Amino acid sequence: MNSALMPSVWRFVILVALQLLLLLQISQSAGTYFNILIYPLFIFFLPLRLATPYAILLGFACGMAVDFGYSSPGVHASAAAFSAFARSFIFGFFEPKGGFSGKENVFSPAYFGWAVFLQVLAAFLMLHLFWYFSVAEFTYVYFSTILLKTLAAWVLTMIFAVFYTLLFNPKR
Amino acid sequence: MIKLLQVLLRNGGLLTFVVVEIICFFIVVQFNERQGAIFSYSTGLWGGNLLQQRRKVADYFSLQEQVDSLAAENARLQEILANRRMMQVPYRDTFYSVLYDSISHIDSIRRRATRPEFHFIAAKVVGNTVNNTNNWLILNRGSDDGVKADFGVVSAQGVGGIVRHVTPKFSMVMSPLHPESRISAKVKKYGAFGSLIWEGGDPERMTLKFIPRHFNISVGDTILTSGLSSMFPSDHPVGTVVEAGEVDPENPYFWRLLIKPSQDMTTISHVYIVDNLFKTEIDSLILKTPGNE
Repeated sequence: MNSALMPSVWRFVILVALQLLLLLQISQSAGTYFNILIYPLFIFFLPLRLATPYAILLGFACGMAVDFGYSSPGVHASAAAFSAFARSFIFGFFEPKGGFSGKENVFSPAYFGWAVFLQVLAAFLMLHLFWYFSVAEFTYVYFSTILLKTLAAWVLTMIFAVFYTLLFNPKR
Repeated sequence: MIKLLQVLLRNGGLLTFVVVEIICFFIVVQFNERQGAIFSYSTGLWGGNLLQQRRKVADYFSLQEQVDSLAAENARLQEILANRRMMQVPYRDTFYSVLYDSISHIDSIRRRATRPEFHFIAAKVVGNTVNNTNNWLILNRGSDDGVKADFGVVSAQGVGGIVRHVTPKFSMVMSPLHPESRISAKVKKYGAFGSLIWEGGDPERMTLKFIPRHFNISVGDTILTSGLSSMFPSDHPVGTVVEAGEVDPENPYFWRLLIKPSQDMTTISHVYIVDNLFKTEIDSLILKTPGNE
């Protein structure tokens, strides 16, 4: 297997395990508005040079893995495929003036600094969560519920994501 | 499958995204109870709405046809109603009732007891005046439709006038708001009949004359056609009493009652021309009687 992808494989395993073994249990006992979705970090930290179609397929796979734990086939997969697609646009929007130098492997604070990293991560997670809750509710009759859940989950997930980044400081 | 994957990867993110999302959508709808239920409900709703819109458009184009058929149906029902009122006569009277029941298989009597008296022709008002001294209506039915002079005209709400002149396609109707109009009407409460006329001015006020003063008429009493004039079936609505208690200055033995007609002549549109099937016979009978020529 390509060694450049190995850190991503590990991240996949760790994040999905964390999501299903810890965060799923927490949100089940804490209530409807307490949702933390950490697995999108796997998509976020996929190699920068990875072509979008691959990112989408990997996101879909990751989402399906989470869906098996959540017994919600396709819901997380849909959101993950969307955020993998949106990822390229968000990264493009926050691209440095001279373009990416080629040295950056992933979009992490180690290469871009915390200020940019947090902005990009915030936008990325917001889009992912909004798409996820939209598909989960499946009707815009509950638009206010979708928004509230998105906001609540976004705050909680951001905290967890920052912790994760501080802990592992991904560079590859 | 491999080829499909290659096509997707070669054609960039958007296509892959769309295809993956379509797959996700199917999985979500197929394997999640909640989303599946919402989806099938929504598609049912959209399908129903679509059908309803199509029906609305189709209905719009057949609107005239529907109006015509409803008017014809109304005419038929009015006819049945008017004839039913006439047929009630033998039932009301004990003697006739017994007679009718006991000899019901004798056809000539049954025919007489149940014979229809009126035929209704549905028509539309195409001309109308209410502000002149002499007011007229024009209807879109004429001699081609069997309309003749002296036929009565009624609407579902009330009385519409009397046919005076006929052309093949149209007929001229003397409105009740015409000084020469005389409509035989009765007070429902007593059955006492008089003559309904219009004394000019307010199209919302008519006058009922020749109701004898021993009848205690009060405001709100219902006025119906009497059925005595051969132009109108009996018991068709005419109006309600709005002013009672005034003695007729020309004839002190009778009341002069102010009536609000139940059919507003300013808004009359769909009417029925009443063809009394025995009018000729009745008229010839009247003419035979000395002093009535």
